[in-house]
Amino acid sequence: MTRKQKRLAVIGGALVFLGAATALTFYALGQKASYFFMPADLQAASLSPGQRIRLGGLVEPGSIRRGQGTQVSFAVTDTDKSVPVTYTGILPDLFREGQGVITEGTLGADGVFEADSVLAKHDETYMPKEVADSLKEKGIWQEETPGSGS
Amino acid sequence: MAMVEIGHFALVLAFALALVQTAVPFAGARIGDERLMAAGGPITIAGFLATAFAFAVLTSAYVQSDFSVLNVWENSHSLKPMLYKITGTWGNHEGSMLLWVVILTFFGAMVALFSANLPASLRADVLSVQGLIGAAFLLFVLTTSNPFTRLIPAPFEGRDLNPILQDIGLAIHPPLLYLGYVGFSVCFSFAAAALIEGRIDAAWARWVRPWTLAAWMFLTGGIAMGSYWAYYELGWGGFWFWDPVENASFMPWLAGTALLHSAIVMEKRSALKIWSVLLAILTFSLSLLGTFLVRSGVLTSVHAFATDPSRGVFILAILTLFIGGSLALFALRAGTLTAGGLFHPISREGSLVLNNLFLTTATATVLVGTLYPLLLEAVTGDKISVGAPFFNLTFGPVMLPLLVAVPFGPLLAWKRGDLLAVSQRLFAAFAVAIFATLLVLMLVDSAGAFAAAGVGLSAWLILGPLTDLAMKAAVGSVPVAVSLRRLIGLPRSIIGTALGHLGLGLTTLGIVCTLAFQVEHITVMKPGETTDIGSRQIRFEGFSPVQGPNFTETRALFTAIAADRSESGRVSAAKRVYTARQMPTTEAGILTLGLSQLYVSLGDPTDDGGIVVRIWWKPLVTLIWLGALVMMAGAGVSLTDRRLRVGAPSRRSRAGKANAEVSA
Amino acid sequence: MLFLIVAALLTVGASLAVLLPLTKQVSRVATADAHDIEVYRDQLQELERDAGRGLIAPAEAVEARTEIARRLLRISAGGDTQADRHGSPLAARAVGVAAVLAVPLVSWGLYATLGSPTLPDAPLSARLAENPKDQSIDELVARAEAHLAGNPEDGRGWDVLAPIYARMQRQQDAVAAYRHAIRLLGDSAERQAGLGEALAGMAAGLVTAEASAALRRAIELDPANSKARFFLAVAMAQDGRLAEAKAAWQAMAAALPENDAWRGAAENAVAEADRRLAAASPAQQPAPGPTQQDIDAAAELSSQDRTAMIETMVAGLDARLRENPQDEEGWARLIRSYVVLGKSDEAGDALKRGVAALDGAAAARLTTLAASLGLVATE
Repeated sequence: MTRKQKRLAVIGGALVFLGAATALTFYALGQKASYFFMPADLQAASLSPGQRIRLGGLVEPGSIRRGQGTQVSFAVTDTDKSVPVTYTGILPDLFREGQGVITEGTLGADGVFEADSVLAKHDETYMPKEVADSLKEKGIWQEETPGSGS
Repeated sequence: MAMVEIGHFALVLAFALALVQTAVPFAGARIGDERLMAAGGPITIAGFLATAFAFAVLTSAYVQSDFSVLNVWENSHSLKPMLYKITGTWGNHEGSMLLWVVILTFFGAMVALFSANLPASLRADVLSVQGLIGAAFLLFVLTTSNPFTRLIPAPFEGRDLNPILQDIGLAIHPPLLYLGYVGFSVCFSFAAAALIEGRIDAAWARWVRPWTLAAWMFLTGGIAMGSYWAYYELGWGGFWFWDPVENASFMPWLAGTALLHSAIVMEKRSALKIWSVLLAILTFSLSLLGTFLVRSGVLTSVHAFATDPSRGVFILAILTLFIGGSLALFALRAGTLTAGGLFHPISREGSLVLNNLFLTTATATVLVGTLYPLLLEAVTGDKISVGAPFFNLTFGPVMLPLLVAVPFGPLLAWKRGDLLAVSQRLFAAFAVAIFATLLVLMLVDSAGAFAAAGVGLSAWLILGPLTDLAMKAAVGSVPVAVSLRRLIGLPRSIIGTALGHLGLGLTTLGIVCTLAFQVEHITVMKPGETTDIGSRQIRFEGFSPVQGPNFTETRALFTAIAADRSESGRVSAAKRVYTARQMPTTEAGILTLGLSQLYVSLGDPTDDGGIVVRIWWKPLVTLIWLGALVMMAGAGVSLTDRRLRVGAPSRRSRAGKANAEVSA
Repeated sequence: MLFLIVAALLTVGASLAVLLPLTKQVSRVATADAHDIEVYRDQLQELERDAGRGLIAPAEAVEARTEIARRLLRISAGGDTQADRHGSPLAARAVGVAAVLAVPLVSWGLYATLGSPTLPDAPLSARLAENPKDQSIDELVARAEAHLAGNPEDGRGWDVLAPIYARMQRQQDAVAAYRHAIRLLGDSAERQAGLGEALAGMAAGLVTAEASAALRRAIELDPANSKARFFLAVAMAQDGRLAEAKAAWQAMAAALPENDAWRGAAENAVAEADRRLAAASPAQQPAPGPTQQDIDAAAELSSQDRTAMIETMVAGLDARLRENPQDEEGWARLIRSYVVLGKSDEAGDALKRGVAALDGAAAARLTTLAASLGLVATE
């Protein structure tokens, strides 16, 4: 191989690698990104079975039921519709009724959302961004009272 | 006294000095006036002193609980322990931006002090670009995030710092991270200065490399510290979440690592000049992007103190100015820069190019994964989250071949290497790695092929650099004393490289072992009960209430019992409530046994007097962070390499003498 | 004044940092090419070392040497590639003057719009050392807190602070302070009654089992303690024993002198109990609100007693809704009251119970109301 051919081979190899990485990235974005839904959007959404999604909303007051050991079930609501959720594990510190929450997992055929992770806000002035935006759209959210946010 | 106002004034003064620092040396370099160029140094140092003074005043307001300062009232409390009063200074948006600027001006002052051997016009341009960055961020702090805003009448009690930020890890994490982020600004300024000058000096890489090394070292420490903090404070037992905020610090690290390697080629072979300049620009641009993502409130998370849109717009403007400006300058001037030495694809240079190709691609995947959700939401309104599954599928495959290739690099010769000969030298390391893989497959029941291969890869990564050092010190072929002397006599950069790669291997081993072999168990426990965790057991002793300085907590005591039934230690986890904000937190209990850890996190109490307990056995987990420490040590050792101080005509005689000693 | 002096000194210092270097003579530094030559020389030496260590093959070393030598030659041949620029001294002087002037002008100009030069510092320790007569209640409390943080075993301090906390609606702090006082100074009817009241305050006026225990302890110590008697009767009313509660309030009112504040509170409570007893079928009627008499009585009471009364009324409403939950308007008023009292946790609790008790449409209206009160946003 001449020097020029070698250089072409190297550049070609690099381009193949970059192409493969790009293809992989877009494939992964299509497959592995999880969409965010509020309970009311969920019925309109067409989900393939077993697709991972994020479900956000408020923990419906009075819906928390503790089952055997570490099992817990509750409902996530946007004050319009509500979706029952089951979860096994430790709930976050700030998980409370009426509180903003994001759960991640899959929606079962029976309409029960099986969550494998539950995120609540980190502190009392923080509402998960997706939840806050959606609630604002629906006009349920009110801006924080002055002095409570920074 | 009105110290607070004097601090505020000093900050304004620092802004005025930054403007002058931008204009005077630049004008000097353009009209060729040496006095104007030389004035850049003292101005830069004065600007640093003014900024540091302002920061000291703010810290003192925190220490004295001066609630007439809005920022102190919002983030402090008179009963908070003194340490967290001090660290509270940068535990909020305004204070942390001020710290950012302090560190920026600090690096500027360092350049001013240690750049006497630089060509006058290059030095002037570097300081001028630093001044421009400083002026932009000082204006941002003063107009949108002023920490000296007053609150009259002053309340008598503050609102307290967010409890999960009241932690020693958080006291160290931001300063280290910023030393890293902002340290790359020096590389950026050098790149911009070279483009302004229209020439890249042969010594450019040697001047830039120490700054890259230092910034990289701090950034490594900052990321590791942040990871360990999230690990023990959030109580989820994870060490990396692919959270956008984490990615924001990880991208400059990846690009900085690439820069570190490309600069080697540049200083040794005068090749990859244009690429290195571009990489220096990109690295700091990613630092700025990280600052924008974290500080603008685009990503709402615990890090986003700012939700004020004017701040986001301001940082976005700074981002556009510096990234756009520098790239435009690059496009304009890159053509005038000359290419350097030639090399064969299989060579040290070739391996470093490969390293750069993989690292920048990996950076790009992280960038896409971080920005794509933001862009998608802006364009279509769809909200998606890109998490670990995405990065495992993209970042993993890109990094894997790079990790396999790492041990080859330092053994390949410059210009043209012999892959076969290098493979022969690495045969022992390769054999041990295969052996380790097989051993894991046979001995550990739960291990899959991937886990075993991961352990093998880690062994390969750890043994490769050790082989390299052993070869260069001729261990085995000469008496021990001689090889030890040769080892010590090796150039520091070679030892640093080996340490850096060794650290990478240790971190990889820690990650592989934790992900593949950790045992997790969630159960309800009552006092006196015992539960199994792997081959060990853990006994729940009971609860005890504890009154802290600004919190109350219920502590749960556990005893860890080893496989041979002996007690191996105690661990206590707690549910804590911070009084001022009435905020509950979970304090995980961690027991370190050797390099492994037992991790206990508490859930909710049950009605029958028990409590939900989540227990992990995390084998070799500490290696993740110890590896990072070894990488930092590698960077530190490399910093002491004499080569980085060559390039100054005035030092010729001394350098010559040193050479004579080395070659003797 | 002091501020002006210090700021002026800082400005002078900063200006000097700009001015002094401009007046100094600078020795000509080496040209950029001299640096390059130095580096190339070092690269040559390093090449020899690398070759000696076997890091580069001999043939490649020769090639590399040629490359470096060629670069060296290019510099020597080209001379100084940069044209020796000698700027005009006039332009340089203009830049220098502008720079020196910019420092004071920019800093004083910008500070004038941003700063508040007349505001003094206010470190907490100095403020607490001021004359107590000039201080507000907040300041006195802060001072006491600072004192108790340093001397947590000062029982008298806790004893004084506890009722103040209760009056400031800091019920949780009041409970803690009463407990400290009881631990350090021992039991007394006042302290136990105060503890009971604060515990009930924490539960939004609901006299919990814990609160009852403290109140009964107070009665044991002093059977005539008005506060304890009053709240124990509230507890009875909450348990549905309205007649017994009424009797207790009546007995209490009869035993107290005419002008005692507690007598008024007890009489009001008796009247309220009468009304509720008279309402034969409360399910058909909306829950009664406070009457004009109640409000007048509330206005006459001291602030402490007024708080107690409001809390009693809210607690009464709460208890009534427990007995008779089919009352949408009642729930709405209860949630609103709790929000007004700043008890968002209790408001959330009431919301939960209300939603559980009411049918779909009413429950949804209640949730919307709660959201409009900011229950969602602030919780």
